[in-house]
Amino acid sequence: MDSRSFQSSAHPGPSALDARPARGEQGFWLWFLQRVSGVLLLFFVLAHGAITHFAPIGDVRAGLQEHPVTHEVVERRLAQGIMLAFDFALLGLALYHGLNGIRNILMEWSFTARHKTAVTAVLHSVGLGAFVLGAAGLLAFVL
Amino acid sequence: MAARLRTALLHPGVPRELHARTRVGWWAWALQRVTGVVLVAYLLVHVCVISTSILGVAAFDSTLGFVQHPVFEALNIGLIAIVLYHTFNGVRVVLFDVGIGIRRQAAGFWTCVALTALGAGASFVLSAPLIFM
Repeated sequence: MDSRSFQSSAHPGPSALDARPARGEQGFWLWFLQRVSGVLLLFFVLAHGAITHFAPIGDVRAGLQEHPVTHEVVERRLAQGIMLAFDFALLGLALYHGLNGIRNILMEWSFTARHKTAVTAVLHSVGLGAFVLGAAGLLAFVL
Repeated sequence: MAARLRTALLHPGVPRELHARTRVGWWAWALQRVTGVVLVAYLLVHVCVISTSILGVAAFDSTLGFVQHPVFEALNIGLIAIVLYHTFNGVRVVLFDVGIGIRRQAAGFWTCVALTALGAGASFVLSAPLIFM
């Protein structure tokens, strides 16, 4: 590593530039997909919060429902195909981005880095299990 | 223990003496990690909570009634702050990748902190009816 690159007080910190693989290098696509899923989640998560938490507050205040999230409200929302598709996309993106982020951390620790295959298998299992559970939960509203 | 935690958190590729000069950037990075881990933990619990719909309407509404108690609605502001920081700092990092804001990274961090505080404050005001029921 060129230590001169740290001479400036403007260095943005360890993660931003050092961990970035060049195109063609191992890990480039994982890094790239982490960025893409992150940018998509920026819109998806904020919209999710606005729709499920903030939008119904008026109805709660008016006494039309007890809480922002009730079975009746979610069932009505997910009856719209676009909202069901939105939730499925959000579920997949969030699990991918989150578990890949955990993997990035674990690959910096020597013990877990040595057991890369096992770590990846465990994270795949957790992700797949959570996706199946979440998908079943969503489908329970429409089936 | 504190020393081990510090070593675990420090990026192995960066010489220790350089951290003094990159302190703000290090905090931005460390906070991105901690908030990321918290969000994954929340996500897994969140999926389990929502999936109580499989057990029927009554199970879903009683579980969701519990997690929407005013105490949890207050804690929710903390979750929103964590989401907002991770989002804003994520944008800061993506901008670095396209060459924007590297020289002014410290100002970028403080912008993220300010936007997070602003967003969390606004969320608190909007959520107040749920917290003070």
